[in-house]
Amino acid sequence: MQDTIVEKVLKHPKYAELVQRRTRVSMVFFAVALAIYSGFILTLAYMPEVFAQPIGAGWTMSVGVLTGILVVFSAVIMISLYVYFSNKIFDPLLEDIVKDVE
Amino acid sequence: MKKFLLSTALLSLFAQPAFAATGQANTSAIVMFLVFIAGTMVITWWAARKTQTTSDFYTAGGGITGFQNGLAIAGDYISAASFLGIAGMVYVSGFDGIIYAIGFLFGWPVVMFLVAERLRNLGRFNFADVTAFRLEQTPMRVLAASASLLIIALYLIAQMVGAGKLIVLLFGLEYKISVIIIGSLMMIYVFFGGMTATTWVQIIKAVLMLAGGTLLAALVLMAFNWNPDAMLAEAVKVHPSGTELMAPGAGVSGNPLNALSLGLALAFGTAGLPHILMRFFTVSSAKEARKSVIWASSFIGYFYLLTFIIGFGAIALLVRHPEFYSGLAGDNSNMLTTLIGGTNMAAVHLSNAVGGSLLLGFLAAVTFATIVAVVAGLALAGAAAIAHDLYANVIARGRSTEKQEMRISKISTLVLGVLAVLLGIVFEDQNVAFMVGLAFAIAASANFPVLVLSISWRGCTTRGATIGGFLGLAFATLWVVLSKTVWVDVFGNAEPISPFPNPGIFSIPLAFFAIWFFSVTDKSARAVKERDAFTALTVRSQTGIGRSGAQDH
Repeated sequence: MQDTIVEKVLKHPKYAELVQRRTRVSMVFFAVALAIYSGFILTLAYMPEVFAQPIGAGWTMSVGVLTGILVVFSAVIMISLYVYFSNKIFDPLLEDIVKDVE
Repeated sequence: MKKFLLSTALLSLFAQPAFAATGQANTSAIVMFLVFIAGTMVITWWAARKTQTTSDFYTAGGGITGFQNGLAIAGDYISAASFLGIAGMVYVSGFDGIIYAIGFLFGWPVVMFLVAERLRNLGRFNFADVTAFRLEQTPMRVLAASASLLIIALYLIAQMVGAGKLIVLLFGLEYKISVIIIGSLMMIYVFFGGMTATTWVQIIKAVLMLAGGTLLAALVLMAFNWNPDAMLAEAVKVHPSGTELMAPGAGVSGNPLNALSLGLALAFGTAGLPHILMRFFTVSSAKEARKSVIWASSFIGYFYLLTFIIGFGAIALLVRHPEFYSGLAGDNSNMLTTLIGGTNMAAVHLSNAVGGSLLLGFLAAVTFATIVAVVAGLALAGAAAIAHDLYANVIARGRSTEKQEMRISKISTLVLGVLAVLLGIVFEDQNVAFMVGLAFAIAASANFPVLVLSISWRGCTTRGATIGGFLGLAFATLWVVLSKTVWVDVFGNAEPISPFPNPGIFSIPLAFFAIWFFSVTDKSARAVKERDAFTALTVRSQTGIGRSGAQDH
């Protein structure tokens, strides 16, 4: 019983598309997140002087503090974008598959 | 139910003389905390009636919404340690406190892009269900339970000791009594109300904490005419480190590999913390799991931004109040060493400075509530590891009944509660600072690689996952034990054996490599079957067809 459902899903034309596109999107997002995070950590570990500069004349806030705040925002923005993709692209594909199989 | 009401009455009776005896407690803090206890007891009573099956007990019957779950996860994450700890770190060294916050936060993109939805589609109660989906039950459950229980024990001890000391300061209670109160409340929530009560306690506390933090940060910014840079300028002016506050400190740049290693453990550890992963099974579908992550990460990110303001605000404003210090020097040079209660109390003193004793009382009460709520979540994850993994699936090999498993999980809750209190008392004067770091390192080096590879790599076999997981676990633990934080600071040896305290940069790749190596060399018939089963796993993880939902039983 379980096997026939699995086979039905596998034969569904949209299943391969769903898996491929979702895997690609999540891998791209993961790579970007890793790049931002490791960029931040590597900079503070190996080039602390970059982060030590003030963001402009007359400012106390340093490049590092501002970057840190932006990095916090970037995490939330990336997650929101991913959810947007999922709702717009993957969920409709998934609904079609589930409707046809069950 | 009678027994439950009795224990509440006992608890409050027993709390009264202690509050009165020390006499230095903040009355508004005590009133607000008692209101919190009363409210959560009503919730527990309500939840107890809904907690009949193991599904109710472990996952609130799968009936939590994505938004509620996001709040609960944020609540689990913003523990007293991370709120007071990060604010305290910013108070001490400015920028370096931000590094921790970002590391904790970046666990969330990892969880979202690699595990959250698939986890929900594949498991029932905890992440061991997922790793055991196509791999062999016994070794995978034993591995997951060992790593989980170790992580939970470390986390519990760190929370209990930190909490006990905090409560001594905030409420003027005796250390042992505060530890016993935390343990008893936690046992009541979990024992009677299971995941439903634990989740709602966490949600309420998260809302209170977000509100309190927002108010505190707003009052700080208001003192600087809503100009954050003016606040930073003042902080740099009064702090002994001066402009170095704005830059990565010597602790980081002096040992870049250690910073990198810590960063890896923080970012990948989240996706391996049993009490966090368990929350994904309280929602009904992968879509709700996704919503949980977006809400959780938004709240956590927002709260960390507040924490930065609170930390820098504490530097700028506290020195205007010599009464918070034991002998503050005229040039503030000793503002780090003389702060009453230590630097972790920076946020608490700040609330008194900008909001008076009412805000102080509120923050103290919320902090106490936080500790109880986090500890309850940990105990529940521990009970699941013992009853669901070790008892139902390993010892009884799936032949136990629902009733038996439920009984074992309740007994486990009580045992864990008593153990937490005892360990809290035993470790009172020990240095427990390394424990949360070690918990994250184990989560990142044992649970995370096994979880990710078992759901996303066809070639992963039981042999590879077991050897790799245990190697990661053993390596991370041994490294930390031989490092300065334990080998020197706890055991009193002269020289550390590990070159730096954080193992992540070696232990995480080691676990991945070992899983890969021992999987590809696995030529057994079982391995062939496990690789074939990957197709069915992918169908289920991608579509959710056949997953266990809220109406499972």
